[in-house]
Amino acid sequence: MASAPRPERVPRLLAGCLPPYPPPPPTVGLLSMEQEETYLELYLDQCAAQDDLAPPRSPLFNPVAPYGMYILNASNLDTALNSNPEVKEASGDFSSVDLSFLPDEVTQENKDQPVISSRHETEENSESQSPQSRLPSLSEQDIGLGLNSSSLSNSHSQLHPGDTDSVQPSPEKPNSDSLSLASITPMTPMTPVSECCGIVPQLQNIVSTVNLACKLDLKKIALHAKNAEYNPKRFAAVIMRIREPRTTALIFSSGKMVCTGAKSEEQSRLAARKYARVVQKLGFPARFLDFKIQNMVGSCDVRFPIRLEGLVLTHQQFSSYEPELFPGLIYRMVKPRIVLLIFVSGKVVLTGAKERSEIYEAFENIYPILKGFKKA
Amino acid sequence: MNNTAASPMSTATSSSGRNTGKSISFAAELQSMMYSLGDARRPLHETAVLVEDVVHTQLINLLQQAAEVSQLRGARVITPEDLLFLMRKDKKKLRRLLKYMFIRDYKSKIVKGIDEDDLLEDKLSGSNNTNKRQKIAQDFLNSIDQTGELLAMFEDDEVDEVKQERMERAERQTRIMDSAQYAEFCESRQLSFSKKASKFRDWLDCSSMEIKPNVVAMEILAYLAYETVAQLVDLALLVRQDMVTKAGDPFSHAISATFIQYHNSAESTAACGVEAHSDAIQPCHIREAIRRYSHKIGPLSPFTNAYRRNGMAFLAC
Repeated sequence: MASAPRPERVPRLLAGCLPPYPPPPPTVGLLSMEQEETYLELYLDQCAAQDDLAPPRSPLFNPVAPYGMYILNASNLDTALNSNPEVKEASGDFSSVDLSFLPDEVTQENKDQPVISSRHETEENSESQSPQSRLPSLSEQDIGLGLNSSSLSNSHSQLHPGDTDSVQPSPEKPNSDSLSLASITPMTPMTPVSECCGIVPQLQNIVSTVNLACKLDLKKIALHAKNAEYNPKRFAAVIMRIREPRTTALIFSSGKMVCTGAKSEEQSRLAARKYARVVQKLGFPARFLDFKIQNMVGSCDVRFPIRLEGLVLTHQQFSSYEPELFPGLIYRMVKPRIVLLIFVSGKVVLTGAKERSEIYEAFENIYPILKGFKKA
Repeated sequence: MNNTAASPMSTATSSSGRNTGKSISFAAELQSMMYSLGDARRPLHETAVLVEDVVHTQLINLLQQAAEVSQLRGARVITPEDLLFLMRKDKKKLRRLLKYMFIRDYKSKIVKGIDEDDLLEDKLSGSNNTNKRQKIAQDFLNSIDQTGELLAMFEDDEVDEVKQERMERAERQTRIMDSAQYAEFCESRQLSFSKKASKFRDWLDCSSMEIKPNVVAMEILAYLAYETVAQLVDLALLVRQDMVTKAGDPFSHAISATFIQYHNSAESTAACGVEAHSDAIQPCHIREAIRRYSHKIGPLSPFTNAYRRNGMAFLAC
């Protein structure tokens, strides 16, 4: 059921303490609506700048104001869309184009793109030899931005200047002591290398939800976006797919969205942002609120056969094994609350986690038990 | 009564199709199943054929009774409720069935969360599929429960002794195996009637019935078929254990008396003679097991195992 563990994506080793997140700049009260929108645009543009594959001459990379006007003026939406077929193209098509090509004429904010996007590339191509320091910095970068997005609802004004600050320092020290990059990880500290064995569960699927915070016209989205399907008789949501990261999203008319298929937290967030961007380009005032990971699935291989009959007998309260029904033993671990599917071949699938550390912890707990039932 | 109990193969109530040399046979699968339930490494073919006959007869009878219940309700399909109704008298077996249904629900919920395609399929199907079997069972038992006993089963966490015994037997069996044998054993364990759903359906000749079972009812029937096989193997192993006269066993003279008729008949002599050498369950064990199970001796026997036809009690309910 679970494929063999992929070649090592080095899990983030965050040794030592990280410097705290930069204090938000001394700020005033809430800005006006238009200013808020332009800041939002600025922020989303930066995000898009990392992700986008459209050539810079497209309106996407132009200064904020003209595009901001597209968004704010609802009546322009149709004309805007019609007159910018390439916007339409770019919006839907995030095919796997090499991001590192981005040219030099990009603006100051986008200067960090080549560095960041190449980090994206290296992170996503696990085979490539990316220097260790880059990966943590990318994750922190992402997490930093993620933190920003999650507190968007709290106060936009605080965050955006702070956001630009956090984006700015990175180009100055791209390959450096990335730990000085100002952000903290929202996740609990990870112990990726298990003490007893060198086996680390690999994440296979992440399900996350985000609130775009605006009512959506699903028919319009389905009509204008590529890779979108919508069948209102079957299901009341648009199903959209992008190829990089390879994910599927269910977009509901209330503005809520479910994103599945990513292989890491950052990829899930990145994919969700891309979908939000697509929706936004179609003219909806999409935001990025309450991004939350709902479920994480990991898998690994202990590399010895396991005698499940013994396991089900000794751990009766936690396990159920009905081979006529399902070839694996279903083990309900109480702490952490994770469900493990254990197979005779030695493959283990862990599901139900909200955080990566839960998966590691669950595997740590089960490994000695499984060793006890090793089938010689 | 003796005749019918001794040779279930000659019952006349099973569908006429059976006598016309039906092509569908589960004998090979049954041999695997019996191995996984505790029989020897290579169960005998004759035993498998006998078990197949027994299971087939019992299921046909069960289906007919379920169809009658369905008709009473005025329904057009046999639903799981009908089968649950037939099983209401035997608490332990009913509880086992309920547990099976819950585990089935739980497993689909988990597997759904893992594979994103499954997740989409589920969402697209629109209906509230989670815990569907549990809901069916709960609603139905709610409606027929007069004394509260049936509903109490949902909270009941008692250990199922029969299941426990089976687990222990499997554990003992697997302890001494090496990994190649164990892999084969696991494969056998995964065999079930629900995996061969269409063959199972044809075997029961469902298409010629007026009232057919629906999907969940078919699942339950497959489960009951498997339970019947398991029960037969359990009982046959007990019988076989009894047959071996142990030193110091005060009842050994009584046991041999009940076996006289079998030892006399030509057919079983040869079979039982071989018994000492092979580990496999013999047909005579199975027949003896059925005979004992249907035996009407005892003060409460008129009130137990209410659903009989031709003197053969249902093993699964």
